[in-house]
Amino acid sequence: MRPRLVSDVSSVGRYLLCEVIVSDRSRLLLLDDRAIAIAVKATVARIHGDYGAALCSVGFSVKYLNAHTGIVFLRMPKRCYKLLWSALPFITSIETRGEKIQCFLNCLHVGGTIRTCQKFLIRYNTQQLHRMLPKCKNEEEKQQVSQALLNCTLVGGTDEAFEDELRSEEDEEECLPNMP
Amino acid sequence: MSVFMDLNLIYTGDRTGLRTLLETAAHLGFSTVAINYVFEPTSKKKQVKIVSSVCKHLCLYQGRSRPIRVLNRLTVVMSDSSHFRPNATEYRSFDLLAVQPTTEKLFHAACMLYDVDIICISVSEKLPFFFKRAPVNGAADRGVVFEVSYSAAIRDSTLRRYTIANAINLMESCKGRNVILSSAAEKALELRGPYDVTNLGLLFGLSDGDAKEAVCSTCRSVLLHAETRKTASGIIYTMRSCSDSAGQEGAPGDPEHGGSIIDSQTIKPSLASDD
Repeated sequence: MRPRLVSDVSSVGRYLLCEVIVSDRSRLLLLDDRAIAIAVKATVARIHGDYGAALCSVGFSVKYLNAHTGIVFLRMPKRCYKLLWSALPFITSIETRGEKIQCFLNCLHVGGTIRTCQKFLIRYNTQQLHRMLPKCKNEEEKQQVSQALLNCTLVGGTDEAFEDELRSEEDEEECLPNMP
Repeated sequence: MSVFMDLNLIYTGDRTGLRTLLETAAHLGFSTVAINYVFEPTSKKKQVKIVSSVCKHLCLYQGRSRPIRVLNRLTVVMSDSSHFRPNATEYRSFDLLAVQPTTEKLFHAACMLYDVDIICISVSEKLPFFFKRAPVNGAADRGVVFEVSYSAAIRDSTLRRYTIANAINLMESCKGRNVILSSAAEKALELRGPYDVTNLGLLFGLSDGDAKEAVCSTCRSVLLHAETRKTASGIIYTMRSCSDSAGQEGAPGDPEHGGSIIDSQTIKPSLASDD
């Protein structure tokens, strides 16, 4: 990987890790990343008008969606991520395959690279599994959950899908002035 | 980790809906919520009753091992000064007290005189009066906070304009301090996570630090203010489950009076009217 140059400043991004929360979990499986991208763009246009719509067309994309858990990674350019983020609470439904799913997006973490979001997601999922453990109905489920807990690790290595992996960690220092 | 609170969940009489609401709030990471019973003296309804023992088994919230804490709150919508009766006995069973003034005189009175914790800024209309510095600063000195609710903004476009207009108006007078943000959620899908609410605060005119304070530390100071209001400035503390009806203990939550334990015989009524 080549070292980061000063001219790369405009390509720096913020990755928002969000969770889609629905009232009926079976509807989650209908989602796909195009539907989420369309919903976000429509909401940003509704709240921030043409300026927001224009910002969305540059640099905003849905990087990853897991329909089973409802986790989605959104990528936004660093200069305007707060503005785009401020429109996300106004999403009330996502339209996909002809159906409107009533849902909302809950932002869990903001990171400068996908890798930091991944690390957070591993910790978050581990916490979720811990919360599930007392609710297990029988011994077999308990075994499965405990096994899953022991297997929670970050898959390391050079995966080309995460092209920002070697980006400098200094990006994240100004990332989260408000987050603990 | 900071504790986030949402002090306005509207009670609609639907118990399963309330349970889902509390579970969603716990999932999102709120450590404390307050169920809001809105009382309008002008409407025909009788006095509100609290739903006791709403959830026998309360849900654990995100990242903690303790269950979510649920408080009771009463909001009195005032259009006349006789609507709010201070020291009424019905108010004692609520943990938090709030008023929603609709005229300028009532707003001034609520800021300076009334013994409440929260003053709600209405979102369903463009306020006919402007906020003056004097009552706002008076309220801030007493520890009364202003509340802006955001779920109306999410529902409807006209209400969104009113909410943002009223909120920005308020922020100019109070400089972003002593404000809390809360949903006025009736259903689980109207809630938003704490980081999203912090970001909404930016839209309402708060700065970054102020917006985060509006969701955690100012809410905590409201709870402490409510406790001192109920316990006569932190001197008397009554326990419900003891065999004798009132136990005496000094409450450490009131910074003005220190943390000393005061014997029951030495309590003078004049101390209670301080503040």
